[in-house]
Amino acid sequence: MAPPPIPRPPLVLPGFEHVRRNWNHTYGTYAARLLPGEYYVTSNDEGVYTTLGSCISACIRDRVSGIGGMNHFMLPASADADGWKSTSLSAATRYGNFAMEHLINVILKHGGQRQNLEVKLFGGGRILANMTDVGMRNITFARDYLATEGLRVTAEDVGDIYPRMVVYFPATGKVRVKRLRSLHNNVIVEEETRYLSAIESKPVGGDIELF
Amino acid sequence: MADNEKIVELVRGVEGLVTLSHVFVRINQLIDDPDSSMADIAKAVSQDPSFTVRLLRVANSSFYGFSSSIDTVDKAVSVIGTSRIRSLALSMSVASSFAGLPNDLVSMDNFWRHSLYCAVIARILARRAGKCDPEAVFTAGLLHDIGELVIFNRLPEQAKDALLRVLDSVDDLPIHEAERQAMGFDHAQVGAELARQWNLPSLLQECIGFHHSVCDAEHYPREVALVHIANILAQMAEIDTLDQEDVTAVDAHAWEMCGIERGAEIVELVVREAQEEIVELEKLFIDSGQSATR
Repeated sequence: MAPPPIPRPPLVLPGFEHVRRNWNHTYGTYAARLLPGEYYVTSNDEGVYTTLGSCISACIRDRVSGIGGMNHFMLPASADADGWKSTSLSAATRYGNFAMEHLINVILKHGGQRQNLEVKLFGGGRILANMTDVGMRNITFARDYLATEGLRVTAEDVGDIYPRMVVYFPATGKVRVKRLRSLHNNVIVEEETRYLSAIESKPVGGDIELF
Repeated sequence: MADNEKIVELVRGVEGLVTLSHVFVRINQLIDDPDSSMADIAKAVSQDPSFTVRLLRVANSSFYGFSSSIDTVDKAVSVIGTSRIRSLALSMSVASSFAGLPNDLVSMDNFWRHSLYCAVIARILARRAGKCDPEAVFTAGLLHDIGELVIFNRLPEQAKDALLRVLDSVDDLPIHEAERQAMGFDHAQVGAELARQWNLPSLLQECIGFHHSVCDAEHYPREVALVHIANILAQMAEIDTLDQEDVTAVDAHAWEMCGIERGAEIVELVVREAQEEIVELEKLFIDSGQSATR
């Protein structure tokens, strides 16, 4: 018997046309693949997935209407040794705020209700033994941010030494987190390092566009 | 076949970069020589002081669990047995043999930890299965992914492409299938070719070559199946899970082939035992293996 034809992808919300989506055989839905620094919001029955090393992903949805999405980010490193700590720290935090706000705002803009928001948090692994624990810094930031915003985390799998693959279905809130074997560490680190140097090379003054 | 030729070429390309230790080559020759005696083998071992020290350390470790202490090479050879000494010599030198094949895709520590997990799990399972030599299966487990090191060193771009395909796939694409998509062959085939060019015993060639395709096993289906299962349980031990959904599925034929009844209890037992033993074993087989070449 021939496999059923793959349906057309559901309509994408404006602003997310660039995110790559593939048909997924296991789940029988489309799934959007997030790279570091990206986020995706959907009101359809489709998945969002990503792989996380020390980066962190918040999965947020309106548990009533089912609109929701995922981000994938990390804080740019603060230059402690150069005495720029305070400036860099606030720039880093601003970057994190930006990643969280964008996700939440787009959900609200498309009909999500703040009081219905349900949050799950993943990532922040310490996948290189010789690295300072940037994963923990990302976890701490995300928890603080959510606490300040009064948003409760209903499930999380953060920290530890493993990279993860996270698949999230905003319509149902279902998540599958899979720890990845260390065979994948270096490729994930490389992806995250490229992203990190991209966000760090942005001049701090250029942040105006973020707000 | 074109892919076959590519594999042969690929492995020829690392000739001279990966070299088995002298002491292993010598022991191997002596064991195959009907005129040699245990004393000849002991003498060959003694000529490599660093190997001697490590052999005695392994002989007296919990790896064997002998009750009396083994303080001379002669005693080690007679207690452990010549064919096991050959397996052991290969296992103890394999990590340092591959130091000449560095790569940017996986750290050697992580690579050998997985290999050692596979080795120790294969050995535990082999003891349960019976009708096979647990020490030979241990060595097969330690060597099962050596083709990966060749690919990572010689074809880093394609290898990275394969790894990215796995990460891109929510459908749990196994690495060997990603490799076939990216380059037309996989690490099991490359490893088997390396083992063939090295004239390693056919048991090892088959375990390395068929650890992802157990039904292709020719003369050593039991050992091949053990290494196949051990490879997957090794991944469970590494990511610290007892849920088989978290890793690639074990081939349903494999349990039958090695005569072990499948079940969650055996998986848990073996994974936990391996996790307890791994640190000690890393000291015996990996740390010392690498420091010998530094």
